[in-house]
Amino acid sequence: MVSLLGGVFLGWSLGANDASNIIGTAVSSRMVKFWHAAFLAALFCVLGAVISGQAGIETLKGLTSLNVNQAVISSVAAAVTVTMMTILGLPVSTSQAVVGAIIGMGILNSQLNAPGLGKVVICWLGTPVGGFVITLVLYRVLAFFYNKFSISLFDTDRLLRAALILSSSYGAYVLGANNVANVTAVFVGAGMITVSTAALVGGASIAMGILTFSRPVVKTVGSKLVNLDPFSAFVVSLSLAITIHIYTMIGVPVSSSQAVVGSVLGIGIIKGANTVKLETLKRIFLAWLFTPVMACSIALALSFISRLSYTPVS
Amino acid sequence: MFQFLFNKENRVEKLIFQYLDSFHLVLDHFSRALATCITRHQCEEFDFLMDQTHKYESKADDIIDEINNLMFSKALIPDSRGDIMNMLISLDKIPHLVERALFIIRYQGLIIPDVFTADIESLIQISLESCELLSKQVELFIKNKGGTRTVMGTIDANESRCDHIERRTISKLFDSDMDPFFKLQFKELVLVIGDISDQADRVSKLINILTLKRRV
Repeated sequence: MVSLLGGVFLGWSLGANDASNIIGTAVSSRMVKFWHAAFLAALFCVLGAVISGQAGIETLKGLTSLNVNQAVISSVAAAVTVTMMTILGLPVSTSQAVVGAIIGMGILNSQLNAPGLGKVVICWLGTPVGGFVITLVLYRVLAFFYNKFSISLFDTDRLLRAALILSSSYGAYVLGANNVANVTAVFVGAGMITVSTAALVGGASIAMGILTFSRPVVKTVGSKLVNLDPFSAFVVSLSLAITIHIYTMIGVPVSSSQAVVGSVLGIGIIKGANTVKLETLKRIFLAWLFTPVMACSIALALSFISRLSYTPVS
Repeated sequence: MFQFLFNKENRVEKLIFQYLDSFHLVLDHFSRALATCITRHQCEEFDFLMDQTHKYESKADDIIDEINNLMFSKALIPDSRGDIMNMLISLDKIPHLVERALFIIRYQGLIIPDVFTADIESLIQISLESCELLSKQVELFIKNKGGTRTVMGTIDANESRCDHIERRTISKLFDSDMDPFFKLQFKELVLVIGDISDQADRVSKLINILTLKRRV
């Protein structure tokens, strides 16, 4: 069970980082108090992992076969990558780090599920695009109804606040369902735990990250998104949840950060405003390229180090 | 069904309508005070009506303070908070102007000469009409009903009419052979009363912008 700690740590850091994408807008705009939002997000995250997390776990564990040692190494490699990318200030995707590390182990075992890997990479490309397209469609449809009915200022306020709470809860549910695979799939692949235990442990560790360490990240990221008007913030939140939900049904863990950027870009196109800076896009693209490569390299290096043995010279 | 979740919001909504009631009462007492002053110059009733105007103006201020406190204790989403606060702060300048006009008459012992009565009456009547329309526009904005643009058009036209009367009155005043000190005092009164329709026009245009901004 001690071997699981690497996964739990990864889940904790994932929860601490990715909660900002889900509840950042609601909290930093003071529509919802942090503890209310964090508690709801943690609860729905565990529910999502347990109820709908199996598909992603099956996909990731199918990428290659790992033994217990390799499972721990890939988990630690992903955690180290996430930490290094965070230090470099690049928007990191835990999904890409985990898949990169698994690929490293697959290369070592000369056993890689190419069709499965292709599906994952296509979904990575599709995440920001999905967020972008869903936002364009959702905004037009919801705006049509929003403008058609004369809802009073106070009712609009109540409606938007309730909608944002619901969409954030939905976002947390799909975050748990989608990203739990990143946390514990390798241990299922190594035969250490069952799928349902993996879903519960993974979901709980992500929830712990949300409850214990997400507050500073939520405040920082949220304040960058708060310039969006409340309606746009709600559309971004809902689009993010729908995008991740689609990939959860396909069974591929994706990055909520990349889905958010796609959604915010969509709002920019609709409003004719520059919602995301070119520099931010550049950094996201760099992170998109480097995260799996770095995780793969670290996994290979750790595996090499673990095989070294001390032979005294006679 | 879920009204209990939005107690602060419900209270803010109620207070805005209470503010509008006080706003009406301020205008009503102002109008009656000036009518008294024009027909009978100085009288006890004027003092009473001026006190009543001051009372409702203070009440309106208290309501705004309460709305402010409620909103900044996290009632409403920040966008709505900002919009409502901007609108109320602008609107609240009108009761201040109204009160100032009465203070000028009372504390400077100003008597409106008969030759200017008709002009001042028209100025007041048009300004008050603008304020009534403005109050209606605020309601339309809060209830998100159409028609704010039409109301804004009428208020804008009223503002032009008031400007015209204001200029004519001041010109007539300085053409007369009245005491120069009185001329300056009376000019100040005309400008303050004229400012009411100017401010109503400013608030009306602000509400129009806020209405457009809230559309998605």
